Amino acid sequence: MALPIIGLILGLILGTLCPILIPIAYSKLFSVAILVSLDAIFGGLRAAANNKFENVVFITGFFSNALMATLLVYIGDRLGIDLYYVALLAFGFRIFKNLASLRRHYIRKSMHSPTVEEKSTLNEVVE
Amino acid sequence: MRIIKKGQISIASVCMVVGFLLALQFRMTEDMRATIPYQRIEELSDRLLSVEKERDALLKEVANLSSRLGGETETVLKQRAGLTPMKGEGVIIRMDDSKQNSRAGENQNLYIIHDDDILRVINELRAAGAEAVSINGQRLIGTSEVRCAGPTISVNNVRSSTPFEIRAIGKGKDLENALKMRGGVAETLKVWGIQMEITVSDAVYVPPYRGVIRFNYAKVAEEE
Repeated sequence: MALPIIGLILGLILGTLCPILIPIAYSKLFSVAILVSLDAIFGGLRAAANNKFENVVFITGFFSNALMATLLVYIGDRLGIDLYYVALLAFGFRIFKNLASLRRHYIRKSMHSPTVEEKSTLNEVVE
Repeated sequence: MRIIKKGQISIASVCMVVGFLLALQFRMTEDMRATIPYQRIEELSDRLLSVEKERDALLKEVANLSSRLGGETETVLKQRAGLTPMKGEGVIIRMDDSKQNSRAGENQNLYIIHDDDILRVINELRAAGAEAVSINGQRLIGTSEVRCAGPTISVNNVRSSTPFEIRAIGKGKDLENALKMRGGVAETLKVWGIQMEITVSDAVYVPPYRGVIRFNYAKVAEEE
């Protein structure tokens, strides 16, 4: 678990040292991008916990989600429809869902080794 | 856990992206928050500067004008105009409505104080040499009126009701006698039971005129 945390810290340092500042007009796109990345992280962690992690699925899922969400927000902005909220809601919902199943998984693991039945309920494809 | 390790590198890279984005977004909002009050401060300081300049210019003008007027004549003129508080020997007169019951068929109005009662008192005081007069705290100046305004009396456009306190600076004895002389104001008002209490004092304070003196129509002209 150390590597993702190191990555996060590295990213924070890079972000604070970055000489370029994005104009305020793009803050919507950025918040969606943050949500997409968070969703990818939680999805990946959950998949890994269920022994379902696949690098290609993870990476392609991340990029396609990020691109789609950004595109959606951009188009929504142009059309005057706030598709921004759609992306926010969808990804927010998924983050909490993934977080909940991760939590359950670790609680069960710490209490007793999971039975076959319980395993099957957790085995949902994430991406 | 071994399989998590397999995905750790990709998850870590995404974590890095998240950190990068978070830091950028944080800086952006921080920047936004910082700039708006900053702009406001600049705007306010600009306005303060211009107002201060204006004030300084006006102060200079005031100093210039008063120096042209001459310090001494200015204070004398102010005193004459009734713009300074005055203190000196004089009388304080308290007047209140009659406490007698009016007799049947008689005019009720005779038992209450009217503007002309007060005008008569003031006329008498001025005739006896009063130098400064005030009614219920309103200094009488050249344009002051004494007029009935419903149940109240308006002086300098400020209304007040009974009891009335008239303060006058002048020779105390003269002022008192002028009011109390036979057939004078005090006697006629007494007939109707209107209360009038005159006290002579060594130190009567008369307040200054607090309004604005403005000439809208009158203009300075050559003597004809």
